[in-house]
Amino acid sequence: MKKYQLGEFEEVVMLTVGVLFNEAYGVSIKKEIENRLDRSVSVGALQTALKRLEEKGYLKSREGESNQERAGRPKKYFQITALGREAMYFTRQTREELWNSIPEVAWKLKLT
Amino acid sequence: MQKEIKPPRLFLQFFRWFCSEELLDSIEGDLVELYHERLKKEGELKADIKFIWDVLLLFRPGIIGIKNKEYKTNHIDMFRNNLKIARRTLWKNKTSTVINMLGLSIGITSCLLIALFINHEMSYDTFQPNAKRIGRVVMEYSFLGSEESEKGTFTSTKVAPVFSSTFPEVEKGIRMSKSAAILQLQGSPVTEPDFMYADSTFFDAFAFTMVQGNAKTALNGPNKVVLTESMAKKYYGDSDPVGQGLEIGEDKTMYEVTGVMEDYPYNSQFRFDFLASFSSLGQNQNNTYWNANYTTYLLLQDQNSFGSLAEKIPPFMEKESAEIGANVNFTLEPFDRVHLHSPYSDFVPNTSIDYLYMLAGVAFLILVIVCFTYINLSTAKSVERAKEVGIRKVSGAEPSQLFWQFIGESFLLSGLSVLVSIVLVYLFLPGFNNLINRQLQLDDLLSPVFIGFALSLVLMLSLIAGAYPALILSRFQPMKVLKGVFKNTDSAKWLQQSLTVFQFGISVFLIIATLIVQGQLNFIQSRDLGYDREHIVSFPVGWSTDFQKVNTLKKELKSNSQILEVSRTGSSPVSIYSGYSMNLPTRPENEVIAVNGNPVDENFIQVTGLELLAGSNFTEQQVRQTYSEGDDDLTFNYIITESAAAKFGWSPEEAVGKEMILNDQGTVVGVIKDFHFQSLRNDIQPLVLFTASWGGRLLVKINGENIPETLDFIEKTWNKVLPEMPYSYKFLDEDYTRMYQSEMQLGKIMNLFSTIAIILACLGLFGLSSYLIQQRLKEVSIRKVLGASTFQILNILSGSFVRLVFLAILIASPIAYWAMSLWLDDFVFHISAPWWAVAVAAGVTLAIGLLTSGVHGIKAALSNPVKNLKSE
Repeated sequence: MKKYQLGEFEEVVMLTVGVLFNEAYGVSIKKEIENRLDRSVSVGALQTALKRLEEKGYLKSREGESNQERAGRPKKYFQITALGREAMYFTRQTREELWNSIPEVAWKLKLT
Repeated sequence: MQKEIKPPRLFLQFFRWFCSEELLDSIEGDLVELYHERLKKEGELKADIKFIWDVLLLFRPGIIGIKNKEYKTNHIDMFRNNLKIARRTLWKNKTSTVINMLGLSIGITSCLLIALFINHEMSYDTFQPNAKRIGRVVMEYSFLGSEESEKGTFTSTKVAPVFSSTFPEVEKGIRMSKSAAILQLQGSPVTEPDFMYADSTFFDAFAFTMVQGNAKTALNGPNKVVLTESMAKKYYGDSDPVGQGLEIGEDKTMYEVTGVMEDYPYNSQFRFDFLASFSSLGQNQNNTYWNANYTTYLLLQDQNSFGSLAEKIPPFMEKESAEIGANVNFTLEPFDRVHLHSPYSDFVPNTSIDYLYMLAGVAFLILVIVCFTYINLSTAKSVERAKEVGIRKVSGAEPSQLFWQFIGESFLLSGLSVLVSIVLVYLFLPGFNNLINRQLQLDDLLSPVFIGFALSLVLMLSLIAGAYPALILSRFQPMKVLKGVFKNTDSAKWLQQSLTVFQFGISVFLIIATLIVQGQLNFIQSRDLGYDREHIVSFPVGWSTDFQKVNTLKKELKSNSQILEVSRTGSSPVSIYSGYSMNLPTRPENEVIAVNGNPVDENFIQVTGLELLAGSNFTEQQVRQTYSEGDDDLTFNYIITESAAAKFGWSPEEAVGKEMILNDQGTVVGVIKDFHFQSLRNDIQPLVLFTASWGGRLLVKINGENIPETLDFIEKTWNKVLPEMPYSYKFLDEDYTRMYQSEMQLGKIMNLFSTIAIILACLGLFGLSSYLIQQRLKEVSIRKVLGASTFQILNILSGSFVRLVFLAILIASPIAYWAMSLWLDDFVFHISAPWWAVAVAAGVTLAIGLLTSGVHGIKAALSNPVKNLKSE
């Protein structure tokens, strides 16, 4: 059943990598998430998630250019793999199925 | 140019240290980029804080990867693997493991026991806080005109008061004297052997723990006594002893118990159960340097006082002794050196440091033998392990890794052996204590010092024993080894042989030494001392017990047919050490001759079987003349030994009827043959027997047919005639044996440990020969096929071992012979080191060597050649 496992934060990271497309590296992903979702992301949490996703094969990375701002260290760009795309799609699909299965009556009930 | 602002160095370094390698560059880049951005927007402080926060949050699994981690885990795995291999190898080669374990355990057990003993002997007096600044006084005196001087720890009561008032270096003087005292326990007399008299300054100088009473006042004034806890329990049970009275001595003098102190430590140069005030000895405290019957200790200001006193005392004593017609001098022995370094035993027998060195030497030799066995066995086995080494090397093992692997094996083995030997020590300690007559505690074994000792022993053994085989094994060339044409190198063979020679050399040495020590001890036991000591029982009768009473006792005893003769005397002939000076009425008064003297009655010569050369024995009448009820003049008569006669230039016949002076003037009635009345270490000395109506000892010669019945009779008679004296007896020959206690102990210990050493050497040879012969099985089989007889094969196989043993005998015998001659020279009367000891040692070693190697040889020679040849 658990064919593709993707945690909530992992899903956010995957989506953000997708949004940034060719520009997805540590700092840009962090900023993007912080801007869009209005939540603070620590470098540690982000990097752990990225490493895990890469190990699972959902992301792949390549070394990029460097600049003075980074004291000569190269950027590490991330890209979604085919497997990653499938996993994201799977997650989305299961969500949609769940959404669709909610009966109309459920929304009409006043919750207050 | 603007100063470049960088993120906090410390945390960057920290991050670099913990971050795993493949993530480091990109994350560090991210961190630095973020830092610079924050620096622009929020300022340095906030950027710094956020940087630190980020680094700390990065410190989590997934990011952390300590550098070189693949090597680290590898080490642990390799260690585990090595341990496993070591365990399997030990298990696989059961014979050599058992031999090594057995050897190592026995060797280490011996070492631990000896170390315990040495540790105990070294601990003497270390608990005394003032040990460094206490001196024991040694007196040396010689009479004018005489060249011989006497030296010992005897001093008179005058030394302590005079020295402490004369020399500012002396803070306190402590006079001590120990004797046996008769106490009344529930109405019956009991002899307490450890009754000590001491000055009240005892408490200023020495360590003590008072349980009850005040140390400051406890010994002030005569007839005060402090008990030890165990004595307080013995005499008063649970009731409070302080303030009570205690009847002491033959005259039942009342002593007041003024305190109770903890039992005195066993490792002290003086031990006692009772501590009585020195002033109780009252009338003895006259002001002379003679009557030297006490031991004096001086508490000095500091250690340097020893030096300044050594300069000051001789001139002072020269002045003091000018009037008394003799040279008297005093020297000081440092208190803490007494037990191991002083030739003078006082309250407790000393142990010579030489014996400790000897024992340490034996322990060392045993360890050497064990190490050599290990080295021999592992080099012999190395052929079997060569393939393993080859494969390991091909797979990339470094020589150092292999080296440590083999060291690890020997470490495992010796560690296990130490554990086994601690159990063995626990089991054997009571027996060992019995043998050496000590009370070693097992607790000492668990002290940090000892655990450290055991651990370093393990480390040393495994390094020394393991290093050579490990070195050899780790150097094998994989090519050669794996091609299968591998044999032990010549150097390894050479080493094996020289180690075997060494082991057997040590065994030969120890056998010879043991035989010679035993020979000398037998010689002492059986030597004709000039008197008879068989079937003589000695009783303490009380020095001044009434003459008539003792005469009654003597008569009653003699009525029994089992009792041949009874005599009252000052000392038993086993040891007479009472110094007197003798002179002639015709010679100047100060030209005295030092001589030993002994008060005896008319039966002494019959009881001891001394041989009269001229003149006659004392008569009962002559003895009675020394007994006075009023103040009549006493008349003394003398019997002197031939060497005493020779001092005056007399032949035995000339001496009879001559007048001489020994305290009083008297007539020489007889001359006896010289006899050994002191240890055989000393030369025979002149002796004067004089008639006396007193004397502390009753010697009873019995015919020895029914000893228990005779003793029973003596006890009954004793209790009837002398009920106030406790009845206790000793056999004279036992007394005599006791004089050579340290030699006997040495003999026993030597016996024990040389046996151990020989067994260990045999074990080594046994193991070695089994391996070497196994390697020659093919050769043996081919020889058999070609028609060699069993004997020829045995000859070939054992011949090489026998040659080694021969070499060992050749090397070790002269060394042992020479060393033991030195030891024998210590005795004035000794056996000459016998050649037969060498012959016996050689024979025994050869036989053992032949036997151990022969067992494997015969097995090999009888085995079926087909079995050995069909493989391969």
